[in-house]
Amino acid sequence: MGESIIDQVNKIFIDVLDNEDIKLTPGTGAKDIEEWDSLNHIQLIVAIEKHFKIRFNSSEMNGWKNVGEMCAAIDKRLKA
Amino acid sequence: MQQGDTYTNRFTVGSAAYEGFIVLFNDRNPLHTDEAFARSKGFKGVVMHGNILNGFVSYFVGECLPLKNVIILSQSIKYAMPVYLNDELEFHAEVTGYFESVNAYEFKFYFKNEEDKKVAKGELQIGLLI
Repeated sequence: MGESIIDQVNKIFIDVLDNEDIKLTPGTGAKDIEEWDSLNHIQLIVAIEKHFKIRFNSSEMNGWKNVGEMCAAIDKRLKA
Repeated sequence: MQQGDTYTNRFTVGSAAYEGFIVLFNDRNPLHTDEAFARSKGFKGVVMHGNILNGFVSYFVGECLPLKNVIILSQSIKYAMPVYLNDELEFHAEVTGYFESVNAYEFKFYFKNEEDKKVAKGELQIGLLI
């Protein structure tokens, strides 16, 4: 069985934000991770889109409240 | 801008850039300032600081793109060959990715010297400020 989406996203966060201590949960939001600022957010999304070979649009992304909703959107794209 | 767009420019690594770089950043390593030392290491003369090329990349982003609301998010460069004073370089960049969700673009770029040899290549990620 492959690695879960949130675990893959966790690795991306660790790499992009250069913080080995990050442990994402579905409820994690930007306010919970100090390095998750507006500029790093761009790099996170770019890295996620490249990793999963998907593309989001800005309107759907603006609706995400936390990592769980982000992972649900990734899952939906992967199954589309 | 869209994926596949290409941009070219020409830059000369002149004395203003070379001497200005030394004045600004104080890197007087003998490879960059001592002709005899540089020749003893197998180079034709003093080698230009590699980061001068990053200055040209900055100029490209800030002044040559059709959009001005840009910010560099990340940049990497690999140096393949030395660049010497007054070398004329051809710069080539291509848009290799567009990420609509976050208004970001990725480029691959390289510099060639007058002998048509790639002296450096790299990648660049920029964001559009809304």
